[in-house]
Amino acid sequence: MIRHIVHKEFTDVLRDGRFRWCSILVGSLLLISLGHGWVQARNTQQEHAAAQATAREHWETQGEKNPHSAAHYGIYAFKPRLALSFVDEGVDPYTGTSVWLEAHRQNDFMLRPAQDATAAQRIGALTAAQVLQHLVPLLIILLTFGTLAGERERGTLRQLLATGIGRRELAGGKALGVSSALALLLVPAALVGAAALVVASPGPAASPLARGTALAGVYLAYFATFLALSLAVSAWARSARTALVVLLAVWVVNGLVAPRVAVDLSKWLHPTPSAFEFARTVESEMATGTGDISRPDRAASTEHLLAEYGVERVEDLPINAVGVYLQESEEFGNRIFDRNYGALWDTFERQGVVHETLAVAAPLLAVRTLSMGLAGTDVEQHRHFANAAETYRRDLMRQMNGDMTENSLTGDFTYTAGAELWEAVPPLQYAAPPLGWVLGNRVLSLLVLGAWLAGAILAAVARVRRAEVT
Amino acid sequence: MTVRTVLRNEWRLLMADQALRIVLGLFAVLLVYALANGVVWLRFQERTVEAVESGNVERTSALQQELDAIANGGQPSSPFADPRSPLVLGGPGGSHTAVLEPGSLTALAVGQSDLLPYYYDVNIYTNESSFQQNGEVENPLNLMVGRFDLAFVVVYLLPLLVLALSFNVLSEEREQGTLALTLSQPVSARSVVTAKLAFRALLVVGMVLAMSLLGILVTGGLDSPGRVLLWCATVVTYSLFWFALAAWVNTLRRSSAWNATVLVGAWLVLVVVLPAAINIAAGVLHPLPSRIEMITAQRDASNDAVNRRSELLARYLEDHPEMAEGVVADEPGLGALAWAATDAVNRRLEQVTSEHDAQRAHQIILVRRYRFLSPALLAQDVLIDAAGTGDARFVHFQSQVRAFAEEWREFFVPAVLADEQMSASVLPNVPRFRLADERPGEAARRAAVPLTVLGGLVLLVGIGAGVGLRRVRGAG
Repeated sequence: MIRHIVHKEFTDVLRDGRFRWCSILVGSLLLISLGHGWVQARNTQQEHAAAQATAREHWETQGEKNPHSAAHYGIYAFKPRLALSFVDEGVDPYTGTSVWLEAHRQNDFMLRPAQDATAAQRIGALTAAQVLQHLVPLLIILLTFGTLAGERERGTLRQLLATGIGRRELAGGKALGVSSALALLLVPAALVGAAALVVASPGPAASPLARGTALAGVYLAYFATFLALSLAVSAWARSARTALVVLLAVWVVNGLVAPRVAVDLSKWLHPTPSAFEFARTVESEMATGTGDISRPDRAASTEHLLAEYGVERVEDLPINAVGVYLQESEEFGNRIFDRNYGALWDTFERQGVVHETLAVAAPLLAVRTLSMGLAGTDVEQHRHFANAAETYRRDLMRQMNGDMTENSLTGDFTYTAGAELWEAVPPLQYAAPPLGWVLGNRVLSLLVLGAWLAGAILAAVARVRRAEVT
Repeated sequence: MTVRTVLRNEWRLLMADQALRIVLGLFAVLLVYALANGVVWLRFQERTVEAVESGNVERTSALQQELDAIANGGQPSSPFADPRSPLVLGGPGGSHTAVLEPGSLTALAVGQSDLLPYYYDVNIYTNESSFQQNGEVENPLNLMVGRFDLAFVVVYLLPLLVLALSFNVLSEEREQGTLALTLSQPVSARSVVTAKLAFRALLVVGMVLAMSLLGILVTGGLDSPGRVLLWCATVVTYSLFWFALAAWVNTLRRSSAWNATVLVGAWLVLVVVLPAAINIAAGVLHPLPSRIEMITAQRDASNDAVNRRSELLARYLEDHPEMAEGVVADEPGLGALAWAATDAVNRRLEQVTSEHDAQRAHQIILVRRYRFLSPALLAQDVLIDAAGTGDARFVHFQSQVRAFAEEWREFFVPAVLADEQMSASVLPNVPRFRLADERPGEAARRAAVPLTVLGGLVLLVGIGAGVGLRRVRGAG
C-alpha cells in the first residue's frame, strides 16, 4: 500500500505543471550557481596562488640589505580559496583577501571584495548554498502543503484511510513520494558537485570528500526537517490554504527575519569597539605596555647581555645587541596583539554563538553555520588562516632578528644579508583545519539541527495520527 | 452609502479580526526594533566621529607643544620623529583625519555605512592603497547578513503586510455574497475597493511614516528636509505599488486563495529571487576585477624606485616645477630622494587603480541597470541614498579626501624637496579637511529616474486595476 502512496505522490508532482516548472527553475538555478561558484572559486584561487608566488619572488629577489630592512619590507600573504567554497562562499566577500606581514605590527586583512561592489549586491548572489537554504525549502513547502489538507478538503482522506492503511504508513508514503520527486533535482546536483570536487577541485582543502559528504548530510537533515514540518502542518491545518499561509510564515521568519534579528541582537549583547578605538588602544599599549606586559627596556637589555657575555663595553659583545632588543620588542608587541586581536576575535565568536543559539527559532541559522564551516568559509576558519599568517610573520621576524644578532656587531649598520638568507625562510604553507576541528566547533549547531529534525518528525507523526478525517 | 461608511466599516472589521490585530501588532514591534537598531548604530558612529575629531585637535596641540619646546632649546622626543622635519610633521605622526559625518537618516537605513570607511588618516604618504583600508570593525558574518533596520522592514516585510491585508479585498465580498448587496447601493466597485485600499494604505504607510518621523525627530534628521521628503515619497510609492498589484489581482475575479498564491509568488519573485538572480547574472556577465594586482604593482614599483631615486627626482622636478619653488639643493637630501621614490610608487598605483576603477565603473553602470527589473531593488537603492548611507555619498567623500591629500602634499612636499625644517608658525596654515557634503538636490536628482519608474509602475498597475474594476458587476 505504501508503495502506491509513494507512487501516487511522485506522479502527482511530475504531472502538475506548476510543480514541474518550479522544480525545473530551482534545479537550473542550483546548477547555474554551482557552475558559477566553481568558475569563480577556481579563478580566485589561481589568482591568489599566482600573487603568493610573486610575493615570494619579490621576497627572494629583494637584493642585498640589512635583515631588519628586509623585515620592514616583509611579505604579503593571500588567503587561499578552499575547494568547497564553490558551494558556499560564506563570509569570504566580507573578509579581506590579503595581509601584509611586516616588522613590528600585526596588520588587518585588506581588500574586501564586497567593498568594491554596490549596495544592491549585498543582498547576495544566488550561490548554491543560497538556493539550498532558501529555495529548496520553499519548493518542499509547495510540494507538501496540500498533501493531507488537500486530501481532507476533497474528502479523499476518508477513502484512503478506509483501505486500512496505517496513518504512520500514510505519512511515510507521502514523505517518500515528495522526497523521490526532490531527489530527481538534488541527486544530479550532488553528483555534479561531487564530480567537480573529485575531477577538477577548484582549490586546496583538507579532506574535501569527507567535508562534502558531511555537507550533503547537513542539507539532507535540513530538507527532512522542512518536509516533516510541512507534513505536520498539512495534517493539522483545516484547509490547504491555512497550511500554505502558516508554512510561508515559517519560511519568512526562518529565512528573512531571524537571520537579521540575530545580527543586531549579537551586537547588543557583545558590542565590538570602533576601528578608531581599537587602533588607539593598540597604539597606546604599544607605547607604554599594559598590566604585566611592559615594554622592554633597552638599557636593561644591554646590561643583561654585558653580564651574560662577561664584557664591559657594548663594542666587545660578540653579537649585535640591537638584534636582541628588536626581538624583545617583537615579543612584547606580539603579546599586545594577542591580547587585543584575541579579544576581538573572541567577541566575533560570541556573536556567532548568538546566531547559532537563535537557530532554535530558525533552523536556517544552524544549517548556514554548518554549511559555511564545512565549506571553510566561516569566520572561525578566516581566523585560522589569520593566525597561521601571523605565526609565519613572527617566525620570519625571529629569523631576521636572529641573523642580524649573530652575524653583525652592535652599531654596525652596514651589515647586509642576501638571497641566501631570504631563501632560507620557508614559504608560507597553509593547511586548512581537519573535519573534526570544524565539527568540534559546531556542536551547538549540530545539536540544534538534530533537535529540529527529531522534533519535526515527532510532530509529523503525532499530527498525522491525530489528523481529523473531515 | 458613502466612502466614509466604507472606511468606518472597514475599521470595525479589521479590529474584529484577531489574527489581523496580531499581525499589525507584530509589525509595530518589528518597526520599533528596527528603529532602535538604527538609532544605536547612529549613536555609535557619532561617538566615533567625535573621538576622531578630538584626536585631530590633540595631535595638533601635542605637535605645537613639542615644536615650542624645541624652539626654546629642547630636544625632539626621538631623533627619528623630529617634528621640524616636513616628513614627520606632514607624515603619519602629524596626520589629519578626514571624517564623513553620518548620513542624516542613518537611523532609518544603515545601508553601506557599516562596510565603507567613513574616515581616513591623511598624510604625506596617503596614496591609492590608503583608500583600500577596511571600514568599521565589524564581524564579517554580520556584514554578510545585513542589519535589521527600517529600510529592511520597508523593502522586505511591508509588502507582505500589504498583501495580507489586501489579497481578498474584493474576492472576499464576492465569496461571502456581499458584493451584490454592496453594489446595489449608489456606489461603484471602483470607489469601494479604492476606499478599502486607501484605508489599509493609510494604516500601513501611516505606521511606517510615523516610525520614520519619530526616528528622524529623535536623531535630528530634520536638518535635511529634502532627504526626509525623498524617504517618505519612496516609502509611499513602494507601498502603493503593492496595493495596486493586490487591487489588480483582485479584479481578475479568481478565488481569494488564488489571489494569495499569486501575490505571494509575485513577492517571492520580485523581492527574493530576482535580486539574487540579478546578482548572479551580474557576476557572470560583468565580473568585478580583483584588486590583488594592486599589491603586486605596488611592490614592483617600490623595488624599482629604490634603485632609481636620483633619476626619479630629476623627472619629478621636471613634472612639478611648482613643488621645487626653485630651491632644490645641488646635492639633493635624503628626504628629497625618498620622496621621489614614494611619488613614483604613488603614480604607478594611480595608474593601476584608474584602470581598475574605469573597468569597475563600467561594470557597475551595467549592473545598476538591472535594478529596474525589481521594484524592491529600486526602492532599496533610493531609500539608502536618501538616508545618506548609499554608495554615492561615500564616493563623493572619497573624492574630496583625494583632493585634500593633494592639498596636503602641496603644503609639505616643497619643504621636503628643499630639505627645510618647519616650525610651530606653520601649524595654523596646515590644511584642514572641510567636508562639502552633497547638495540636497543631488540625492533627489539621482532618485529621479528610479522613482519615476517606480511611480510609472504604480500608475500602470493602478490603471490596470481601475479598468478591471469598471467591469466588476455584483452578480456572477
